[in-house]
Amino acid sequence: MTRSMILRQATSKKRLPVLILILAVAIAAVLAPVDLACAAGQDAPGSGADVEYRAFPVVGSRVIVWVFAELHLMFAAFVLAVPLFALIIEFIGYKNGDKRYDALAHEFTKLLSVSFSFTATLGTALTFLLIFLYPRFMNYLGSIFGWTFLPYALLFFAEAGFLYSYYYGWGKFSPRVHMGLGLGLNLVGVVILFVADAWLTFMMTPRGVKETGELLSLWGAISNYTWMPINIHRLIANVAFGGSIAAAYGAYRFLGARTDEERAHYDWMGYIGNFIAISAFLPLPFAGYWLGKEIYAFSQNLGMTLMGGAFSWLFIIQAVLIGMLFLGANFYLWVGMERIEGATRYKRYIKYLLASITVCFIVWATPHSMVATIEEARRMGGSHHPMLSVLGVMSAKNTAVNVLILTTYISFLLYRRSNKEPTVSWARVGQRIQFSIFVFTTLFVIFLGVLGYFVEAKVRIGLSVPQVLSVLLTMIMVTILDILMYRKARITGSINWGKMPARSQYALFFITVTFAWLMGLMGYVRSGIRQHWHVYGVMRDTSPDAFTPTLGFASSVVSVTVLVFFSFIAVVFWLSSLSGRRNWEPTRPS
Amino acid sequence: MNNALKVAVLTVLTTAFYAYVGHMVPQKITYPPESAELESDMTTEQMVKVGGEIVATKGTCLACHTIGSDKPGRFPDLGGIGARAGTRKSGMDDVGYLAESLYEPNAFIVDGFNPGMIAPSKPPVSLTDSEILTVIAYLQSLGGTPTVTMQTKLKYAGQSPGPAAPGPRPTSLAGSPGAALDGAQLMQNYACVTCHKVDTPEKLIGPSLYDVGSRMSTAKLYESIMDPDASVAEGFPPGVMIATLRATQFYDKVTASELKTIVTYLAARKGKG
Repeated sequence: MTRSMILRQATSKKRLPVLILILAVAIAAVLAPVDLACAAGQDAPGSGADVEYRAFPVVGSRVIVWVFAELHLMFAAFVLAVPLFALIIEFIGYKNGDKRYDALAHEFTKLLSVSFSFTATLGTALTFLLIFLYPRFMNYLGSIFGWTFLPYALLFFAEAGFLYSYYYGWGKFSPRVHMGLGLGLNLVGVVILFVADAWLTFMMTPRGVKETGELLSLWGAISNYTWMPINIHRLIANVAFGGSIAAAYGAYRFLGARTDEERAHYDWMGYIGNFIAISAFLPLPFAGYWLGKEIYAFSQNLGMTLMGGAFSWLFIIQAVLIGMLFLGANFYLWVGMERIEGATRYKRYIKYLLASITVCFIVWATPHSMVATIEEARRMGGSHHPMLSVLGVMSAKNTAVNVLILTTYISFLLYRRSNKEPTVSWARVGQRIQFSIFVFTTLFVIFLGVLGYFVEAKVRIGLSVPQVLSVLLTMIMVTILDILMYRKARITGSINWGKMPARSQYALFFITVTFAWLMGLMGYVRSGIRQHWHVYGVMRDTSPDAFTPTLGFASSVVSVTVLVFFSFIAVVFWLSSLSGRRNWEPTRPS
Repeated sequence: MNNALKVAVLTVLTTAFYAYVGHMVPQKITYPPESAELESDMTTEQMVKVGGEIVATKGTCLACHTIGSDKPGRFPDLGGIGARAGTRKSGMDDVGYLAESLYEPNAFIVDGFNPGMIAPSKPPVSLTDSEILTVIAYLQSLGGTPTVTMQTKLKYAGQSPGPAAPGPRPTSLAGSPGAALDGAQLMQNYACVTCHKVDTPEKLIGPSLYDVGSRMSTAKLYESIMDPDASVAEGFPPGVMIATLRATQFYDKVTASELKTIVTYLAARKGKG
């Protein structure tokens, strides 16, 4: 049977078999060369193993792989994240009986089926590119992880099965069975993520191999230093990213809505998506600390490359992005208060919150060494500004990001209680306790930040841990108090869903684009710190692309990738919105 | 304006803004380190010189160590190590101690510092046994007298991966821009001569370099280019040179081989013509 016959047969059926066929081709492509290498036990002439690299025209091999890998990761992040919160929303709807939640969860999953196809297609293209352009590296990776490829392929089939039965089975099964499918989808998705993370973290912090590169232990290679930190970091970041894309979809539908009912629904969808994104975003720096700690534990050199070498300026770009994210998220909450009756009383606090965000952003974005002209440097007495360089060190930056997180959390608290009055007898005491916790934590975080200037580096590094933990603990304690205090709260006004100005929806798009760009940038640094190594310290990159490019070049590649991604996302949104349209009917002659 | 168009414009402007920020920070290309080719009949003086270069470049030692600073970095200051090395561990001479520090750095931890140094003999640094001998000679020269030769047999010899390792392979930087230029031409091209005289003792914006080879070791020359504020010549303000080099994008443009050529050229300026 020829390939075209197989394709013809497949296309005559439904979408699922087509997808499975694509996956099968991709998996076969992945497994074939590995199989060859394993079976032969040596580099067979003409198998591709004697060719180390091939060049891709115009942009070069590295850039094309970079762009496809990032696009694949962005879609994969979305496809893995949406089922996580769709299932939770479905469960909330099941428990409280509110059909709106069920409808919202269903709407979120509408985005999945098209996105899953994009993910698989981009993954296939990436696999082909890697095999063709980097045969020596792929042979080596195959010799280490060959045994994980088949389970990975099977997991992909399981993912497809669960995903399509979860989406097409909406309302067709009992809620428990349907949620069981959702749970299966999520479990398989998480395992897929963990398997793929093993490959990429091995490249960064290899373990389980001899110094000469031969495999000693597959489990050792999988459970390398950064595997679990990356798993957790990605899981959380995926939810933040997926939530923001879902919010952007809500914004897109809101802007095009024709009725108040539609506007109200999509306003709510945008709000929930953004809530998910920001809630997941807040603990992300903590997961980042863990990842950084493990990188240093693996190799001081690798850690120094990340934080003190060529990439140290990348974190200034990151500071700008995170500052913009916080600003956008707070702006959306503040504008959102306009649709809540009774929120006026909290508006006076916004200027203080804005001031706090602005100050923190400025501190975070202040570099340690200034880019200055000769005259300016002469006046400053060096490359470090006499006053501002104080803000450029980690003590100041850790303090700023923790206060930023606290400020955003306060914005959310004000939003949450806009139309509510607590009725419990201890409400006043409860509010004073909450206020005291905020004041104490803020002073504690600032105290530790200042203390950092007067202690040795060894002690200073450790101060970030109590800073982070105090903020985390504050959010947990205040949330628990708030839930208890507002349990039987008096509702002082309604939330007028849909009564939102268009600028709030553009803020959601802005947040989504910023998330995508941030993801691209951090993906670059994670991969880039290996510098001239395919597998750090084990397999050297001897291609013409072995040098580490400038941050400007990397920024341009990230920008182009983000624009391509959103072009694809526009297609996903459009296709997803087709399901709500009326069927086409031939015009009847009058 | 149509909503979709507005969203598209917003997306393009946002990404363009972030790309702009990315282009505004200092730009630097980092090239893979170059392998030093060592001859077995090198004199001790030559070994010290090569060792100093390796410490400042391929060895990446100065990422964590300082030389003659009161504020040590992540790991101990190396100033005067040549005098101290023989007294660190009882029953171990300076060559033995320095060799152990390079092959098994966590076997002995100096008080007040944490373990964590990776062995330069292993990847990712991968210094060869010969390169390590030159590094030991250089370290001995810091406050002591080099005694090691290229024929010295260390008990660790043979542990470094060498060319047989399937993973790491030597990288050729041949053909990199400027490789064919000599030191004087590079000094001219990078406009160093705008601030420094190289053929007379006359001071310009910076000190004259006509006798710099007799005043500074090779490692010090590397440091004075890569981190000019680490020690500033008396009577000259700090910060000026680094700001100039950044403004002219010297650090973005210069390659490892060009830097080596410049340092070799400067090391030869002994003040005689």
